[in-house]
Amino acid sequence: MTLTFDEVLKRPKRGSVDEAIAELKNLLGDKVSTKPADLFSYSHDYWLITFHWLLKGKVPALPDAVVFPESEEDVVNAVRVAHEKGVPLYPYGGGSGVLGGTVPEYGGIVVDLKRLRDLRLYEDDLMVEAGAGVNGYYIEEYLNRRGYTLGHFPQSLYPSTVGGWVATKAIGQFSTRYGGIEDMVLGLRAVIPPGKLIELKPHPRTATGPDLRKLFVGSEGIFGIVTRVWLKVRPYPEERFLLSFASESLEEALDSVRRILHRGARPAVVRIYDRVETKRHFYKFEELYGKIGTVIIVEGDSRLARAEKEIVEREFKGVPAGEEPVRHWLETRFNVKEISEFAPIGVVIDTIEVAVNWSRAAELYENVIRAMKSVKGTLMASAHASHFYDQGVCFYFTFAGVPPRGRSAGEFYNAVWDAAMRATLDSGGTISHHHGIGRHRRGWLAEELGDAYEVLRKVKLAIDEKDVMNPGNMVM
Amino acid sequence: MPGKWDWLKDEIGFSNLLTGGRMIFKVVQGKLSADDLTKCALCPNMCRHACPVSIVEGRETTSPAGKARIALMIREGRLELNLDNLEPLYTCLGCDLCTLYCPFEFSVADLIRPVKEEAVSRGVVFEEFRKVFENLETSGDIYGNADSGADGSGKVLYFRGCTVRNERPELAEKTLTLLDKLGYEAFTISETCCGLPAYNLGNTELFKKVAKRTAEKLNATGAELIVTSCPSCAYTFRVLYPKYGIKLKPQVLHITELLGEVIGGLKLKGAGTVTYHNPCRLAMHLGRRGLLKSLLENVEGLEIREPRRELFCCGHGGSAVSRLKPELAKEIAAERREQLRDGAARVVTACPSCELALNGDGLEVLDIVEFLLEMMEE
Repeated sequence: MTLTFDEVLKRPKRGSVDEAIAELKNLLGDKVSTKPADLFSYSHDYWLITFHWLLKGKVPALPDAVVFPESEEDVVNAVRVAHEKGVPLYPYGGGSGVLGGTVPEYGGIVVDLKRLRDLRLYEDDLMVEAGAGVNGYYIEEYLNRRGYTLGHFPQSLYPSTVGGWVATKAIGQFSTRYGGIEDMVLGLRAVIPPGKLIELKPHPRTATGPDLRKLFVGSEGIFGIVTRVWLKVRPYPEERFLLSFASESLEEALDSVRRILHRGARPAVVRIYDRVETKRHFYKFEELYGKIGTVIIVEGDSRLARAEKEIVEREFKGVPAGEEPVRHWLETRFNVKEISEFAPIGVVIDTIEVAVNWSRAAELYENVIRAMKSVKGTLMASAHASHFYDQGVCFYFTFAGVPPRGRSAGEFYNAVWDAAMRATLDSGGTISHHHGIGRHRRGWLAEELGDAYEVLRKVKLAIDEKDVMNPGNMVM
Repeated sequence: MPGKWDWLKDEIGFSNLLTGGRMIFKVVQGKLSADDLTKCALCPNMCRHACPVSIVEGRETTSPAGKARIALMIREGRLELNLDNLEPLYTCLGCDLCTLYCPFEFSVADLIRPVKEEAVSRGVVFEEFRKVFENLETSGDIYGNADSGADGSGKVLYFRGCTVRNERPELAEKTLTLLDKLGYEAFTISETCCGLPAYNLGNTELFKKVAKRTAEKLNATGAELIVTSCPSCAYTFRVLYPKYGIKLKPQVLHITELLGEVIGGLKLKGAGTVTYHNPCRLAMHLGRRGLLKSLLENVEGLEIREPRRELFCCGHGGSAVSRLKPELAKEIAAERREQLRDGAARVVTACPSCELALNGDGLEVLDIVEFLLEMMEE
């Protein structure tokens, strides 16, 4: 190892790592790497605070090896060997998770699934079968050419993988119509300890006991490794309408969307920006500046979409601002550059997504913004509501600040997160809407789940008795 | 109209100017900025889907941001400058498709170039590259086959390039035939390499040496126009030579650019269906993204189908990947073939390297010159 990082936050090794690597090299040959560059590359995901550490010469952890399976059999071998030798195993997709879900905290072996990338469309069944490593943009492009869409557009569409979406319970920007990934998964295959490939078949519905598919959706690799999924697809939308509105208050905009949904209309995209974010994203549009901006996309079958558009226009209490703001949003929605610009000079930025029922939505928004701003060093805190349901809404908060003198980036970061999580729980919200738990949020999970936390822990250990599957993630 | 950062001024306010706010304002005023390699290293790989290596190899280390992170760590002295750590940096095709999706429009190939240059200057060089350097030094040809052809003369010089001369001499003949039909009395000379392979591999000093030698020879011909079959040669002459202060007197055009000027006057008839493969150097580096397709549109009766992806490298660009990891280069070519097959079994391209990489496996790949000659004959 030629790394010269001055501080590696790596815990003592667990299990017989060297034996496991030797056996895997014997089984998988050059699909196993112990090269320093590879170990470094899998030392992190997109957990933002780790980039502040990285710039100071620290890495959160290092694996001992990386495995690049090319078949489910390779994954079975990896899980079997890890189980037998008691060595931690971390599934890895596109690495765009923002909570440290794939950080190899206890050393061991990272399994990168990106070479499992076969695709097959079943047109009669409106279903696509995909290897876990299929790139997000790829699957959508593949479907579009055949006249279909998945309707799943997370901001990580370009770097992330299908398996990663399932494992982290991802959601896309068009979720109000198409749902989150949990609404799309019809079936899946996964490898669980001690090295067994299980299949949950892609039936339209099944009443064969509790839904085991859901056990793996959002499991973040703590039960096993998802290798293949079957997802619902939809015909490519025939027609699309772009609408935007300026409102005087957040409550007014939220109430408008609630009424639209309660009438049964399902716009694909609904995004309500608070005043700060409206200024930030739509500064070119005078009619929105200083207001609460909302962008809406209605799409689908022509006649249905027209009817839904009519409902939106009738129910939304605000000033229509035309198609251009929505076009602007569509063009800029994947322009991720803030971290690159601000993190290197010491500015700590992150996003926090939570969900809450309609009845406490405005209250939660106010409380979380106030809580984040109360932390010394916070320079700005803002939010938009990005996903909507009959029952409530997801708020996506952004904060930025500079650690005050005497406080590290990590300490400041944790203080803002603590404040936001506390305010969310006190306001009746759930601590995560779609980023998941990972390593960063695990400290708040027990309070959120109450006694159910123990159920989760027991299920984990029942499947993975040696705790080799992504140990330390989500549950301790 | 409010400015881009007015929201930030409103939000942060003057009270915070004495604390961290000052730093943020310096950033938005352009007075404080991270270097580009650092910025790229901190990206979540928003261009991963455009990078053929990243899609096909699927290794985080060779993803675009992954390469930037490795380069940054080497630059900062946290990873040793050795062949193992350099390997990911040479697993870059230099296709620059990453720039299409980057909000900063970075070219990862350009960002990591200084680390490669440092490696070469310190003698940390792969064996596979040493032979290329040696060939360029001694014979002026990447294959080591010095051109023993005669030097012609005239106004229009046809520059074949190493790949055409060594691997596709018949394309040279056909190109001269087409030029003749177009009324250009083109001539050839005993060539030396444009120097791009050395540049791609990080040996900038050798590139400059080879480029100067080649420029002197080309200038001495007295030609007014140089036409090439190879978009890499055209790019090197037009973009890299001026960048390094190497003067080339004749105007340089890739054959497609010349055809673009005259094709309207040609009678071209065809039948059937073709698709096209845009060479990265032509589409990205020479900025001629729509040219190949527009040439085909001049063929009456021809059905042109879009490839599944407009742009995707054949896997052989940049020289390094095909030399260091030939199996990966083949896999990328196979992926591209699959994308092209969605369009048609007949593919027209305009780069000898792309043609060689993609031909076969049920796909017939032709150079635009060969194809148009065929359409003229019909």
